[in-house]
Amino acid sequence: MKIAFSTKGEGWDAEMDPRFGRAAYFLIYDEDKDTLETADNGKVADMAHGAGPQAAQLLFQYKPDVLITGNGPGGNADRVLRQTGIKIYIGAMSGTVKQAYDKYKNNELKVF
Amino acid sequence: MKEIVIISGKGGTGKTSLTSSFTMLSGNDLIAADCDVDAPDMHLLLKPDLAKSYEFYSGELAVIDYDKCTSCGICMEVCRFDAFSIIDDLYKISKINCEGCAYCSYVCPEKAIEMVTQNVGKWYISNIKSGSQMVHAHLNVGAENSGKLVAKVKNEARRIAKETDKKYILVDGSPGIGCPVISSLTGADFVVIVTEPTASGIHDLKRVNDLVKRFNIKCSGIINKCDINPAACREIEDYFTAEGIHHLVSLSYDENFTKAMTEGKTIVEYDNGELYNKINNAWENITDLLQTKGESQ
Repeated sequence: MKIAFSTKGEGWDAEMDPRFGRAAYFLIYDEDKDTLETADNGKVADMAHGAGPQAAQLLFQYKPDVLITGNGPGGNADRVLRQTGIKIYIGAMSGTVKQAYDKYKNNELKVF
Repeated sequence: MKEIVIISGKGGTGKTSLTSSFTMLSGNDLIAADCDVDAPDMHLLLKPDLAKSYEFYSGELAVIDYDKCTSCGICMEVCRFDAFSIIDDLYKISKINCEGCAYCSYVCPEKAIEMVTQNVGKWYISNIKSGSQMVHAHLNVGAENSGKLVAKVKNEARRIAKETDKKYILVDGSPGIGCPVISSLTGADFVVIVTEPTASGIHDLKRVNDLVKRFNIKCSGIINKCDINPAACREIEDYFTAEGIHHLVSLSYDENFTKAMTEGKTIVEYDNGELYNKINNAWENITDLLQTKGESQ
């Protein structure tokens, strides 16, 4: 299982970003391999418009099964994400990536 | 630290009048952020000193390098925005018409068209008359607000609020439900929708509430000018109940809103009577709701 997080920084102690489209980074945790990959979303966050769908496109390259974020993607990003069957969990508004992962494991996050 | 976003869907409902009043009432507890960057008004009432100013760059426009251009005209053929014209045998791009889609740059065989990032205005950190600070922006003529600019203003407000240990960030959102509004909502703890009993007021209230629901943010409502159409007002009250929107207060149509504005004052500075009390109660109500929300988590 590959799990993506919208974050403000890199590594397990990075702070979660409640935004999806304009999140600074996406971190992708591969549970099978136990690796944490970084996708730099800085270029997308810097776009004037259409950040949501572009962020979704970037995320696809990593083929995550699950996305953990704060508020949840906006309408346009959501429509793109739905195409892949990715499962989206929301409510990880703040705290570290590690804490968000624990919350997900304990079923404390809401399905979007 | 809690972030409160005030939106309306429809413009002209009294959103900024109330945001600036709340800003005055909370004094030094709050950082204000004016994200209605297309038509920022809060500066008229809060008298910011523009203490720090920064350039803002957003979006790209196509620019032709005439040393490389062979006037083949392919750019003009593909442009969907009629941005090209031929003046004195040279292809020119209208800055107003160019949408920055980069199609021309992509197809140019001579690689003569470059996409150039645009300076669209300035953003500021100001001291305001409430004794606190405000983050706001001013766009150049013809430049448009964007999710990017809203994110910038909000992030700066959040940074200052953190550094100065403020209780609240109060965001004046923009009308509508588009990119800037979406950007103003993400990361917020609480939303206040200011609406009015008119057909367009109700229509846009519903649209913006659908957007707020998508982001799972606790939502409350203020009905302004509630007495101009009692039947429509009841319709809004019923909608609030059905949707679980906490009804903060209803305010009657009051010319003191306009009188205060023409004197460059917020309503709570101008009116010490019933209007002041109602707005003050609404603000206390908001802070109480944030408190209880925090405890239940």
